[in-house]
Amino acid sequence: MNLYQPNLVRIDEIIEETADTRTLKLSFQDPEIAEGFDFKAGQFGEYSVFGAGECTFCIASSPTRKGYIEASFKSVGKVTQAMRRLNVGDTMGFRGPYGNHFPIDEMKGKNVVFIAGGIGLAPVRCVIWNTLDLRDQFKDLTIIYGARSVSDLVYKRELQEWGNRSDVKLYQCVDPGGETPDWTGDVCFVPALVEKAAPAPQDSYAVVCGPPIVISLTLPLLEKMGFAPERIYTTLENRMKCGLGKCGRCNVGPVYVCKDGPVFTSAQLKTLPPEY
Amino acid sequence: MRRMLSRTDLDALVRDLLGAGTRVIAPVRRKVQGREFVEYAPVQNPEEIALDGSQPVRPLKQVVFPPTETLFNYKQDKGLVQIQEAPTTFSDTLVIGARPCDAAALEIVDRVMDWDYHDEFWFGHRQATTVVAVACTDSDESCFCTAVGLSPESTRGADWLLIPAGSSFEVRVVTPKGEALLESNKSRCPESDVPEAGKASSAVEEKVRANLAMNPAKLQEWLGAHFEHPLWQKIALRCHGCGACAFVCPTCHCFDIVDELEGVGRGARRRNWDACQPALFTLHGSGHNPRKDQSARFRQRVMHKFSIYPSRFGEILCTGCGRCIRVCAAGMDLIAILAEIGQNAEEAGSTL
Ligand SMILES: Cc1cc2nc3c(=O)[nH]c(=O)nc-3n(C[C@H](O)[C@H](O)[C@H](O)COP(=O)(O)OP(=O)(O)OC[C@H]3O[C@@H](n4cnc5c(N)ncnc54)[C@H](O)[C@@H]3O)c2cc1C
Ligand code: SF4
Ligand code: SF4
Ligand code: FES
Repeated sequence: MNLYQPNLVRIDEIIEETADTRTLKLSFQDPEIAEGFDFKAGQFGEYSVFGAGECTFCIASSPTRKGYIEASFKSVGKVTQAMRRLNVGDTMGFRGPYGNHFPIDEMKGKNVVFIAGGIGLAPVRCVIWNTLDLRDQFKDLTIIYGARSVSDLVYKRELQEWGNRSDVKLYQCVDPGGETPDWTGDVCFVPALVEKAAPAPQDSYAVVCGPPIVISLTLPLLEKMGFAPERIYTTLENRMKCGLGKCGRCNVGPVYVCKDGPVFTSAQLKTLPPEY
Repeated sequence: MRRMLSRTDLDALVRDLLGAGTRVIAPVRRKVQGREFVEYAPVQNPEEIALDGSQPVRPLKQVVFPPTETLFNYKQDKGLVQIQEAPTTFSDTLVIGARPCDAAALEIVDRVMDWDYHDEFWFGHRQATTVVAVACTDSDESCFCTAVGLSPESTRGADWLLIPAGSSFEVRVVTPKGEALLESNKSRCPESDVPEAGKASSAVEEKVRANLAMNPAKLQEWLGAHFEHPLWQKIALRCHGCGACAFVCPTCHCFDIVDELEGVGRGARRRNWDACQPALFTLHGSGHNPRKDQSARFRQRVMHKFSIYPSRFGEILCTGCGRCIRVCAAGMDLIAILAEIGQNAEEAGSTL
């Protein structure tokens, strides 16, 4: 079996997140691979629909939950539209896990602030469940999440669950104009919600994922609030094909996002040319 | 003592290998619509081999990195999929008459194909291929191998180098694979005590040197510090992003991965050559494009070859073959561009 050949996975469950976003729960067909599969929070994979092609998604489930992986995807092009036409029981391909990961071990004993915009919650959700499943090993956990409108919020059931838990603080917002009459969260943009939540920078790590605009505004804001640039983590989503450091598509300056990333600190981003 | 091989014995060597079922690839003359050119192609007969023609229009990379390569086949019945593996071992191939700039490229690209993950397809082809290079006896105004540390007599990436000497060749054995080739052809390559008549290709080398002089280390340093510079905008203005330069480049190795249907419920996943110059290369599904304009894309081409690859893999990702200059419909001239960057680097020298 060569590097580019995927393992076969079965779609066990499909969850409609929003009008254009779905979560697929996948399990490996080969019991031996299912048994041996392991990954770390932040890693990604190449998912494929046979006949349509491959595309890149983070693994959105937590490595603490064994026996399956989840991917949440937005339909934007050829493969993601083909993925929307699949049903429970259908077969897909998966290669991975690839890339580096969030420093979960280093975060132990510290506060962690999660900040996400839109579908950017997918990679963050993996870390959230990773820390919640080991809850007693972390100090305060804070989740700050925003989307364009109420209907664009992903993982609605989980947001409700996190909101109900006393061991995690949840702040939510939607863009002005995106609220519904029964919306109880804030109406503002993500950076404003971060200012409002004012997480303490001491002894803290931040994990930030979202569209480029959220990243470019939130990272400097966190630094201004006193977070160390080495402790602010984000992911880059440059277009990828191979995931193996070969195809030449994902580089930002000298860095191959698929191998050196996709997880980077704010401090590392400052040393890179602005090509992401 | 030097080993010599006559053209007649070379032809006999080729005939032997063809008889044994080895694929032989060599420069052959072509004429299409009145235009004459040379290209690397499989030969059935040693007479087809043109060792004294001009540089083949396309590089040798297609032998180890085909423009399209099947990664696997699949069959699909309703929701169920069956994968049929694609082979990563290939039948024996002998290349006769590789240009030194094309042979060197193979060794340079080995680095990226083998960091951490080992690309079985690339190395499968590499393993199966024996490369006999021939020192260049001519060059043109687009050649600049000497500026990137190579020469018309470079042995890099070759298993044998043949140096033309009258109607014969001097045989330089470079690798263990080359030793094996010599072992089975020893009687054809008698030792001769004719003293070396000086560098056969020194006149060519002289000519190439006159095309471009450059200091790669200084260039790399300047590039590393000048991601933003008005030069990028200026030099890219006439590039229309077609990517032809990448397709004829022996060191460009970017690829796309696509599925192609081959009937109802069956197909193949393939990797196809790709190029970083068209805008779609980096376009995100959201419409966001990290490389917004042609200057950013052309900068990537120059950076990748002369800054990124050297810093990651210790090699310049260019062999100075000059093909990108010859092929460009817009007249982009890498020699002129490198000279201009080199001059900037020279001037920045003390202030870096
Ligand atoms: C590390 C990483 C993690 C990611 N994680 C996630 C995730 O968790 N969830 C998620 O939803 N996404 C994620 N992404 C983004 C995801 O990879 C892309 O959205 C996905 O690959 C799109 O694939 P596609 O085949 O549907 O789109 P494509 O068909 O490739 O098209 C994408 C866009 O490119 C343009 N395009 C492509 N081909 C053409 C053409 N021939 N002509 C004109 N325009 C064209 C179109 O604008 C199209 O909308 C991630 C990306 C990376 C790198
Ligand atoms: S440099 Fe020339 S060949 Fe290369 S993309 Fe631009 S126009 Fe095409
Ligand atoms: S960049 Fe141009 S000169 Fe250099 S190896 Fe490629 S085609 Fe040849
Ligand atoms: S995705 Fe192919 S090199 Fe990074």
